[in-house]
Amino acid sequence: MDATHGLTAPPWRVGVDVGGTFTDLVVADAGGRTAVFKVPSVPDDPGAGAIAALEKACAALGLSLAAFLGDCAFFLHGSTVATNTLLEGKGGRVGLLTTAGFRDSLEARRGLRKDPWDHRTPYPPVLVPRYLRLAVRGRIGAEGEEIEPVELDDVRAAIETFRAEGVDSVAICLINSFANPAHEHAAAEIVRQSGLCRWVSVSADIVPIMGEYERASTIAVNAYVMPRVADYLAALADRLAELGLKTRLLMLQSNGGAASLDQLIEQPVNLLLSGPSAGVGAIQHLANGLGEGNLVSMEIGGTSCDVMLMHEGRVAITDSLSVADYDLVTPSVDIHTVGAGGGTIAGIDTAGMMYAGPQGAGARPGPAAYGLGGTRPTVTDAHMVLGRLRPGPYAGGSVTLDLEAAERAIANEVAEPLGLPLAEAAAGIIRIVEQNLLHAVERISIQRGYNPGRFMLVACGGAGPMHGASVGRALGARAVYVPRQSGAFCAIGMQHADVRRDFVHVVMRELGDGVGEALAEGYAALEAQAADALRREGFEPGEVRFGHELDLHYEGQQWDVRVALAPDAAPDEIRAAFEAEYDRQYGHTNPGGRINVSNLRVVGIGKLPPLAEIVFETVERRAEPASVRPVYDQATGGFLETAICDGAAMRPGDFVDGPAVIEEETTTVVIGSGERARVDRLDNYLITFREEG
Amino acid sequence: MELDPVILALTQNRLDHISHQMGWVMVRTARSPIFSQAHDFSCFIAGPTGEVVSQADGIPIHTGSGGFGVRAILRDFGDVIAEDDVYLLNDPWAAGGNHLPDWVIARPIFAGGEFVGLTCNRAHQSDIGGGAAGAYNPSATEVFHEGIRLPVLRLVEAGTMRDDLWKLLMLNTRTPHLLDGDLRAMLGSTRIGMERVAALACELGPETALAYFAGVLDHADRCFRAEIAKMPDGVYEAEDRSDNDCFELRDVTVRVRATIAGDTLAIDFSGTDAQIRGFKNSSLGNTHSAVYTALASFLDPSLPHNEGAFRCVDIHAPEGTIVNAEEGAPTTMCTVFCAHEIIHAVWKALAKADPARGCAGWAKNVFGISVGREASGDRYVFYHGAAAAGAGAVDGRDGFNQIGHVCTLGGLTMPNVEVYEQLYPVLFHRQEFRLDAAGPGRWRGGSGADYEVEILTDATHSFRGEGLEYETGYGVNGGGAGAAGHMHLRFADGNTQRAPKFGLESTGPVRFVTQSPGGGGWGDPLERPPASVLRDLRDGIISEETMREVYGVVADEAGRAVDASATAALRARLGGNGPGANLRPMTSSS
Repeated sequence: MDATHGLTAPPWRVGVDVGGTFTDLVVADAGGRTAVFKVPSVPDDPGAGAIAALEKACAALGLSLAAFLGDCAFFLHGSTVATNTLLEGKGGRVGLLTTAGFRDSLEARRGLRKDPWDHRTPYPPVLVPRYLRLAVRGRIGAEGEEIEPVELDDVRAAIETFRAEGVDSVAICLINSFANPAHEHAAAEIVRQSGLCRWVSVSADIVPIMGEYERASTIAVNAYVMPRVADYLAALADRLAELGLKTRLLMLQSNGGAASLDQLIEQPVNLLLSGPSAGVGAIQHLANGLGEGNLVSMEIGGTSCDVMLMHEGRVAITDSLSVADYDLVTPSVDIHTVGAGGGTIAGIDTAGMMYAGPQGAGARPGPAAYGLGGTRPTVTDAHMVLGRLRPGPYAGGSVTLDLEAAERAIANEVAEPLGLPLAEAAAGIIRIVEQNLLHAVERISIQRGYNPGRFMLVACGGAGPMHGASVGRALGARAVYVPRQSGAFCAIGMQHADVRRDFVHVVMRELGDGVGEALAEGYAALEAQAADALRREGFEPGEVRFGHELDLHYEGQQWDVRVALAPDAAPDEIRAAFEAEYDRQYGHTNPGGRINVSNLRVVGIGKLPPLAEIVFETVERRAEPASVRPVYDQATGGFLETAICDGAAMRPGDFVDGPAVIEEETTTVVIGSGERARVDRLDNYLITFREEG
Repeated sequence: MELDPVILALTQNRLDHISHQMGWVMVRTARSPIFSQAHDFSCFIAGPTGEVVSQADGIPIHTGSGGFGVRAILRDFGDVIAEDDVYLLNDPWAAGGNHLPDWVIARPIFAGGEFVGLTCNRAHQSDIGGGAAGAYNPSATEVFHEGIRLPVLRLVEAGTMRDDLWKLLMLNTRTPHLLDGDLRAMLGSTRIGMERVAALACELGPETALAYFAGVLDHADRCFRAEIAKMPDGVYEAEDRSDNDCFELRDVTVRVRATIAGDTLAIDFSGTDAQIRGFKNSSLGNTHSAVYTALASFLDPSLPHNEGAFRCVDIHAPEGTIVNAEEGAPTTMCTVFCAHEIIHAVWKALAKADPARGCAGWAKNVFGISVGREASGDRYVFYHGAAAAGAGAVDGRDGFNQIGHVCTLGGLTMPNVEVYEQLYPVLFHRQEFRLDAAGPGRWRGGSGADYEVEILTDATHSFRGEGLEYETGYGVNGGGAGAAGHMHLRFADGNTQRAPKFGLESTGPVRFVTQSPGGGGWGDPLERPPASVLRDLRDGIISEETMREVYGVVADEAGRAVDASATAALRARLGGNGPGANLRPMTSSS
C-alpha cells in the first residue's frame, strides 16, 4: 500500500470513533476511497486520541493539520464520553424535582433486576440521592387534566436546597407530564430564572413517554452526564476549529444518525450508544452494495460481540437501552451484546467443566500473549496456539504477541488440568466461544421471530473474521461476508450516516373511527418539531424525509408492536398492518380484538451527501499465498500446511480455498476446509461453503 | 465411557440454549400476558429416567420439581411411551404437579428409535374452572374448589390430538380462548425443544448423548456437593410462621432441621404444623422447589440448577403438614405462601451454618386485589403491586426497598403508577420509602413503602395481608427485623378502618392507606459505616433518634458530617449493652 493509503483528493470526509481501547479514524476522499488510521485511545483526554489519529492521517497524506481540516467537508464523531462518565461515576451533582408523594421511583426501580437469582448484587448507585430528590406539590391526571395546581414555592425552596448542596444540573420529572408538560415547564422556568446552574433537563421535552420510572431514570442520566459531556464536546469543537476545521462537528447518536453539537448538548442521553450504533451505517452500506436486505452482523472486539440484525433493509431501533444497569428510554439501534471476544477468558470450573467467558481480560492485562501481565488463557491465546495468529506486532503494532506466553497460559489452566494436548485444549476454547457466538446470533433472530438460516452473516470487528466462517456454517447461513476494513467497522459506518432525529408522542386511544383526527394532530405536531430540529441542522423543509410509525397493542396487553405506515392510513389499514406484524412476531392474532394506539413516532431524516460509490472490476484469479505455515484445522482435528495470504495483495476477483488464512491490516480471516473466500466487486471478502456430499 | 471435557461443556451449553429457545417460543406464541409479561412458566429437559437435565429458563419457584411430573409420566406410561405422544398433567398427588394452575406439557424425545428424554413446559393457566375466576379462590377449603384435576393424560397419541380430551379441557375453563392458545404455545415450544435435543442426540449417537446428559448431571452434583461441603457439619434448626390460616388468626409454623454431614444436606420438616383449611398448603413438589430456591439463592447463583445439583439434598416432609398436604387439600396459593415461610426457614437454618452468607428476611407482601367496574361497565381487576414490601439485606448490599415476592426472587416487578392510572379507575397519592421501617444492620433491610391509592369506583377487595401487624422481614447476625406492615381503608366521609388480613369486602370509593413492611438487616447496626447511617438520615430512611440509639452515630450540628469522636464514644457505650440490646421494633412514624 502506498504512503497515502490510496487517498487522492479532497474534500475529505472524516469519521472518528473514540472507543475504550482504540481510536479509529476513517478518512474518505472525493472518489469515495477510504483509509483507516488507528491509535490507542487516551482515556483521560479522549479528544487527544482523536487529534493523534488526525495527525497520523495527515502524516500519511503529507498534509498539515490545518490544510487537511480546512478541506474537510464532513466530520462525524462517535464517542464513549457519555458512557464513560456514567461508568466511572464522574457526572454532575444532580437535583431532581418530583411530584409530591413520588420522589422514590428513581431508586425503587420498579424492582427490575436482570437476573433474579443473583440477588446479592446491589443496584448501581442511585444517580440522585434521596435528599436531593425534592417534592413539588401539584398533580396532572392521567388524561392530562390538572387535578391540583403546581406549587411553585416548592420549586423555589428546592432551588435554595440545591444551591446549598452544590447542585450543578437539575432534572425535572413530574407524574403524567407526558400527557401535559405544563407543570414541568413552569418549574423549569423558575429554575432557569434562578440562575442556579446552566443545565436543566425536563423529562417531557427529552423523553415524553409514559412510565415515571423509565422517564425519571432517563432524565437523571441525562442530567448526570450533561456537565462533563458538554464541556468535553465544546472543548473538542473549539480545538478542532482552532486547528482549522471549517465544517460543523457532527455527533453520532445512539439511533445511528448524526446531529450537530448544539442540538445534542442538552440531550447527551442520546449519546450513550454513540460508536457501536455506527454499525448500522456500515451494515446499511453493505446491504446497498450487495443488494441484500437480510443481514446479521457479528462485530467482535477484545471484550464482547455485538450482534445486529437487518431484515428487509431495516435495522430495528428500540426504545430501551441499559447501560451499567441504568435503564434508559432513548432511540437506540437494537444491538445484542455477549461477552465473547478476543480477551474472553477460558478455564476449568471447580467441578471440572471447561468454560470460555463471559469474563474477559479487558485491554489490560489482556490476553496472556500480550505480555502485559495477563496469565489467564484467552481466545486470542488459543488462536496463537492454533497458528491462526502469528507472533509479533499486532493491532497496528500497539502490542506484540508472545506465543510462549499464550502456550503457558493454556497449558497451565486448561490443557494440564484436563490432561489434554495443548492444541486440543486451544481448539476446545475456540469451539466453546464459537458456540456462544452461534447462540447469540440465534437468540437475536429467534426472539424476534426470524429464521437465522435466511440471513447472510457479516463477520466484522478485529476478531470477527476469525470466527465468521465457522459460525456461519453452524448457523446454516448462505454465505459469510467479511468487510476488508473489519477492524474499523463502526468508523467506516460513520461515513454512511445521515442526520436523524426521533420524536414520540403518547396517544393512548382506541383504534376506531374517531382516532384519525387525533393521529393527524399528533403527527402534525411531531413533524413540526422534526422540521424545526432539522432546519437548525441546515435542512430546508423540502430536504427532510419523514418516517411515520405507530406503537399499537391489543387491549389489556402492556407491550407494543411497532408498524411503519403512511400518516394518513385509515383505521382498517392500521389494523391490517398491526395484525400482520403481530402474527409475524407472535404466531397468532386476535381477530376483531380491540386495538389501542400507544404512541406516534416521527423520524426526521436529513440526507447527507453520500460517499462516492466504488465498484471494482473483478478478474477471477486464484490468489498466490505469501507463505505457508501449519495451522490447526477444525474439520480434521490436526495441523495442516496452510496458505497464508497477504490481504493487501488480494484484488477483486482473487479467491483462495481453505484451509487458508488471510492477514489483513486490521483483522485476520480464517477459512476452513471446504470454504472459499473471494474478493468481491466491493473489495470485501465473500466466504462460501462448498456443497456437501 | 470416558467423557471429552470439551464435548461435555458444549452439551451442557446447548441443552441450556435449547431450554431458553423453548422459552422464547413460549413468550412469542402464548396468548395470556401471564407468560409474556409475568414470565410465570418454566421450560426444562428431562433425561430418560425423569431427572431434569436442564432448566435454564423459568421462575425460581419452579426449580427442580419438574422431575416429579416426569416420573409420574414414566410410572403411568413408561412401557408404552412413543414418538409423537404428548402428555399433560397438573394434579399434585396423582401426577407430580405443584399446584393446579400450573400445567405441564411433556413431549418424549426419540433419537434413532431410542427414548432419550422429554422436553417439558410448566405454565400457569389463566383459568381452570373452580370456585373463582382466575385460578385463585381464597375461599377454597378443598382442591375441588380450585379447578380441574388432571392425572397424567396422553393428550396427543401417535401425532394425533385427542379431540375429546381437548373439548373436556376447554369446557372446564372460563377463558377457553386463552387456554387453547396457551396450550398450543406449550405444544409448539416443546416440539421445537424436542427437535433440537433429538438433533443433538443424533449427532452424538443416542448412547453417547445419554452418557453426556448423565455427565451434565454429575457435574452439577459435584458443584453443589463442593458448596455444601464448605459449610460446617452440624444440625441447624429454624422456623418461620404465618399468623393466619386464611380464615382465622392463628400461628401456622414451618419448622426445619437442616443436617449438614460432609457434602450432603438433609432438610427435615418434622414438627411443622398440620395442614390448614385455606389454600396455602404446599404440595410435595412445591416444597421441594421452595427448598431448592432457598438453597440456590443462598449459595452461588451461578451454580447449575438441574436436578443433579439437588442429589445431595434429602428432603423429608411429613404427610399431613402444611408442607406436604394430604390429597384433597386446597393448595393454589402455595407457590407464594407457604413457599415464603419455607424459604425463610431454610435460609435461617443455613445462616446458622454459614453466617457470612446469611440472608435476612424479605418482608411478606400485604396487598391483595380490587375488582370493580369501569364507567363503561367493563370489569377491571387491579393488583396493588405498587405496595411491594422491602427485601432483606445480605453481606454487601442493603435490602431492596421495594421488591416482588421472594418465591420469584423479585422477578415479578412493580408497575408504573402512570400506567396503572391509564388502565384502571384509580388515583395514586403516594408511593414512597418508609421512615424507620428498614430492619437495622451493618447492611440495613429494605424500607418498604408508604402507599396510598384511591379506588374511584365501587369495588370488591380480596385481602391477602400476610405481612400485616407482625414483623416478617427477620434480621440475621445481629441485624434487626423490618417493621410490620399496616393497612387502612379511608372512606369519603373521613371514616377510617383497619383492613382485614383475609377475606372479601365490598366498598364504595375508598382510599387504601398502606405501609408495606420492611426487610431485615444483616449484622450489627453499630458496625454500619457512619457515613451510610448519616446518608440514611439525610435521605429520610431513618430518624435522628434511630441514628443515635440504634446505630450509635452522632452528626455535627449542621447534620452534614459525622462527628467521629462522639460516634466512637456512643458506639462504645451502646456496644456495652450487649448484642441486640439496642434493637427495638421498628415502627413507622407516618
